[in-house]
Amino acid sequence: MENRPMPPVEEIRALVGHQFPGGTYTIQHWENFLLTECTGTTPLPNGQVHPAAMFHVPILGANTTIGEMFELGQAENDASIGIESYDWELFKPLYEDVAYDISARISEADRVIQDDGRTYDRIQFIFTLKDPEGENAARSTVTWHYNRSRALMEK
Amino acid sequence: MDVKVGDMVPEWDMPSVRRERMRTMAAILRDPNPVHWDDTSTTRYGFEGKTINQGPLGLSYMVNMLHEWAGPTSIRRFIMTFPQAVLSEDHVVAKGEVTGIREENGKTIAEVDIWLHNDERGTLLKGSAEVCVSGEA
Repeated sequence: MENRPMPPVEEIRALVGHQFPGGTYTIQHWENFLLTECTGTTPLPNGQVHPAAMFHVPILGANTTIGEMFELGQAENDASIGIESYDWELFKPLYEDVAYDISARISEADRVIQDDGRTYDRIQFIFTLKDPEGENAARSTVTWHYNRSRALMEK
Repeated sequence: MDVKVGDMVPEWDMPSVRRERMRTMAAILRDPNPVHWDDTSTTRYGFEGKTINQGPLGLSYMVNMLHEWAGPTSIRRFIMTFPQAVLSEDHVVAKGEVTGIREENGKTIAEVDIWLHNDERGTLLKGSAEVCVSGEA
């Protein structure tokens, strides 16, 4: 993937309030089984979903993808994303075969220029999961840095 | 469960971060980033011959530690930062220390500093968690 130019800061700031389509996501047993195996442990009891699912389930359930999130922030390339933090709030455990209703939006987006010239766009995504009863089940806040190496080279 | 500030959470050990698990995880996540499955893509980042573990996998080791300590429905909140990459074949150990205790809606919540340690490179990931320690969450 070729490095793309740094977008105007106005285009980044305009992302605030962006709503993803949203939708539902049902975590199936096979998916939870494989995911849990990847973490190095055995499946949790009673069909409970391993919390590691709190990254991809909100994203896919909101009808977006990691690739689209890269594109929205006009990432330079696949490897230019830095993670500031993942904040996962579990109001109740998640379970297999439950259809979670998922909504998502971009809550913050702005450019950060550090003293040494390092420049990145900081974009925060909030995903909310509701259970079939309409109660909040979980919330995932993803904060990424879209690093802009060209800004440093041009300094 | 008797918990007090300063208690250390029993460690959780991952003897070797396996690249085949990263490949499975990449498929589950639909994550196109080659740094997780193509060890020729990481050379320019100084990780020649290695693949980089996905963030959710690295933090999952600390989830497993907390589950073994307080039970599978105990985690209320989990905040994680990623100062260093976790690489294929790394030996990592999840660690935690209780920094606070509070009562909330009749439950006892432990505030826990958590981190992922590697003997060669120190702390790779670090964050905090809120864990219900008074029985079923």
